[in-house]
Amino acid sequence: MLYVKELYKSYEAGKNKYEVLKGIGFHVAQGEFVAVMGPSGSGKTTLLNCISCYIPFDKGNIKLGGVELAGMDEEELARVRNTKIGFVFQDFMLLDGLTIRENILVPRIVQGEVPGEAEKLADQLAAMFGIGHILNKYPAEISGGEKQRAAVARSLINNPLIILADEPTGNLDSKSSRAVIETFIHAKQKVNATIFMVTHDSFAASFCDRVILLKDGTIYRQLEKWEDRSVFQDQLLDAIKEMSET
Amino acid sequence: MGQVINMRQMEQKLQRADRKQSRLYLFCNFMALMIISAYSALMLSPTVQKVFPEGGDSRKQMYMIFVMTLLGCVVFTIYALGLFFRHKSRQLGVLMALGASRKRLAPGLYREVILLSGVSAILGTAAGFPFVWGIWHAFRLFLVDSSDMVLTFDFRCLFISLLFLLLVVGFAGLTAWRYLKKTNIMEVIREEHINEPVKELGRWCGPVGFLVLLTGAVLGYGAPLACDKWFSMFPPVWVSVFYAPVFVGLYMIMLHTVVHGWKSHRKNPYKNIISRSMMKFQGKQTVNNLLVVTLLIAGGCFAVFYLPTNGISAVLRYASLPYDYFYKYQADQDMPDRTEIEALGREYDLSLKDWNECDYVTVGMGGMAKIYEEDGLRYHIEYVPMQQEAMVLSEDAYQMITGQEVDVEPGTYWCLNDKAETSLYVNDSAKEITNMTTRKVLATEFAGFLHYDHLAETIPCCVLDNADYALISEGLTDDWRGRFVAFNVDGKDSYPFANAFFRLFVSSFDESCERPSYYDRVQKIRENEEGKEYWGDTDDMTTIRYEMADSFMFRNFWVYMPSFRILSQNDYLRNMAVMFMMFLFIFIVCMITALVVCYTRCQSIALNNRYIFDDLKKLGASPVFLDREVHSQCGNVFKVPSMVGTTAMFLLFSMILYANDGRMLKTEWMAMGVCLCIIAAIGGVIYAVYRSSVRAIKAQLQI
Repeated sequence: MLYVKELYKSYEAGKNKYEVLKGIGFHVAQGEFVAVMGPSGSGKTTLLNCISCYIPFDKGNIKLGGVELAGMDEEELARVRNTKIGFVFQDFMLLDGLTIRENILVPRIVQGEVPGEAEKLADQLAAMFGIGHILNKYPAEISGGEKQRAAVARSLINNPLIILADEPTGNLDSKSSRAVIETFIHAKQKVNATIFMVTHDSFAASFCDRVILLKDGTIYRQLEKWEDRSVFQDQLLDAIKEMSET
Repeated sequence: MGQVINMRQMEQKLQRADRKQSRLYLFCNFMALMIISAYSALMLSPTVQKVFPEGGDSRKQMYMIFVMTLLGCVVFTIYALGLFFRHKSRQLGVLMALGASRKRLAPGLYREVILLSGVSAILGTAAGFPFVWGIWHAFRLFLVDSSDMVLTFDFRCLFISLLFLLLVVGFAGLTAWRYLKKTNIMEVIREEHINEPVKELGRWCGPVGFLVLLTGAVLGYGAPLACDKWFSMFPPVWVSVFYAPVFVGLYMIMLHTVVHGWKSHRKNPYKNIISRSMMKFQGKQTVNNLLVVTLLIAGGCFAVFYLPTNGISAVLRYASLPYDYFYKYQADQDMPDRTEIEALGREYDLSLKDWNECDYVTVGMGGMAKIYEEDGLRYHIEYVPMQQEAMVLSEDAYQMITGQEVDVEPGTYWCLNDKAETSLYVNDSAKEITNMTTRKVLATEFAGFLHYDHLAETIPCCVLDNADYALISEGLTDDWRGRFVAFNVDGKDSYPFANAFFRLFVSSFDESCERPSYYDRVQKIRENEEGKEYWGDTDDMTTIRYEMADSFMFRNFWVYMPSFRILSQNDYLRNMAVMFMMFLFIFIVCMITALVVCYTRCQSIALNNRYIFDDLKKLGASPVFLDREVHSQCGNVFKVPSMVGTTAMFLLFSMILYANDGRMLKTEWMAMGVCLCIIAAIGGVIYAVYRSSVRAIKAQLQI
């Protein structure tokens, strides 16, 4: 589904150049729920932004659904973002002037007219994630957890190949965080969604099938979940501790 | 509201939701165009153009302040547009992130910004005319009215507004294009949080800034004088470059304000740390803003200080004149005699006293003159016989009219000056005087100055020994002879009498006297004899007409304009109305522009730093603390430019008044006192707008 090979990305600040990603490579399979963890500055969000084509990268290859992203022009990249990727931001990024139903439908609206079936799908997704009762409300009128669930529904409206989520529980309390993670699991189980999530939260990551640990722009280690969620969370915490000591 | 089903509907709905942002941009754009349209309409109106002398200082000042106002309008329009896009960028970024391509977003975005910019600009341009018409007629209604003040427009002024309109629409379109062109979507989404820190200089930059500013003011003012004195050169336009350090100094002062502030934080380094750091991190914008506001306030002060500095000296001068009525006329004119004037006086229940009259002659007087080289800039000074027209009195005539005793040595002359020795019409370099009818020449020599205000008003006036006077006036025709008449009113004077007498006086002259005081008959004869055309006979000469007896030009420049105290006092404001009202208008426009810039800046602080205030609230900052930070932040935006702008202009005016003659006259001290009162009033207005800005910000930040 997603192949990342020898990915490099650097930022320039004045005369200084900072290498953030140093030749990262990995693969995410269809229907897999993968998390990326690592300390601040390890390159997690940069990696996610490169995959989602939000920022250009220096070198390397990203293949999504068998299509190479490097070298695409702006128009093609926009189409990829719209149809192949669903993105969930840490701070939801809902449009304040639109209702929740309209927000969920935005990726369809930017394609052109919204057919009736898309509206039905929006309603179904909302019902699936427990936000059916707030579809006609505006973002300012609902809670953070509801906003994030609406954002997840929005990311699924075009039936994308992959959902990319940047710290989706970062701004939420534990109850809302759990509800959001459950929406991901639900999406994975019901529509076989592939999810790639950046997080700091070991609890959220423990729901994933696999966790990639990043350190200083390279992959430090990858952990797969074979056992119970809580055991996997302990393994994660041990690995993170080990990473911070090396 | 219906369900959104396509892009166009979504854009319209989002635009409706963004009304607040659009309103600020619309307001700023509307104000900018209204101010520019109003200023250019008035500046280029025939009403103003005919009063402000072409090439004169006042016209240059009017244009200079217009350029400054234009700059201010450009700045606040750009900032308002920047604010609009800062807010819009999040929306654009989200849509891009969700797969809207540039091509898909472009039509809606261009339509929105061009519509907003275009409509507000057109409305602003149109509103400029009623705005200027309203202010002008309010002036006429409440302050002063005159025949000069009939407002007419030259609609070519619309070209300036049109250019600015195109600039605004073009810039809006360009900014939209710039946003759409961005490849880093995260940058577009996070645009609201991007800071522009300014390059810091040490704490020395503020004090050094003041020194540089002062140096610039002295250099700028001194350079034209140096050109004249040391290089015998008419100051070319580029000499203004010497004022450049003023702007550098101002920049350094504003930079110091933004980066370090003017209060010492040694005792309490954490006081106002939030507002100081906020200013620092949006330093580039803030420094530019403060600089423009300072210039606008200084420009406004420059315009408004013109009124007291000119008005007070004139009013006091009229009060101190020795005679209530003093006039002169050419001997060949059929003027009302004493009996007729006394009869007119009786019609107004007035009796006249202290009647005095004497003869004078007009001669050609030699003198040092600037002879310009071919480049029109450089000159050399040489003595020119028959250099100018001058009036000459005998010792006896002088004593009769002034009551001052004088003993003039034969072969010498005394030149008349005013009491303050500021008259422009003195000639202290003549070696001979010429009878313009017989061309008889009398050798003479400057002996000193006599002081009598009535005789130092239009062209040079001299006193000769009685025998010399008889010699030089022998054979002169009546068109070179004249008579001074002076009298007082017994008791309280009457304006209707003065007015009626003025009308009678003007109507008694024939067309040979229909000329301005700067039309020099001697110079004309000399140049014609040299085969040259005298400039006064070309189209360059501003003409004077009897039927325009109430106009600014006539009252200020007619060669036989009488000095009637009560007429001058009552009509002073009316005679100067257009000039004064134009300067008052400039002041109003500059202040409005400056206050809009400050208000917009404060709004941008609220918008750009909303998240900081939210974070502070989350960290437990009390409303009192937040209130203090908002006050401190806005205080700097308003306080420093106001103080620097007004003080700099006050000092500049003081310097100009002092440098004119190397001293400060009583009238000048009084004028500066009035200027101080004006500064206090300006301070009051600025404070009121500051309070209102703080209230608006607090409402926005929900403090």
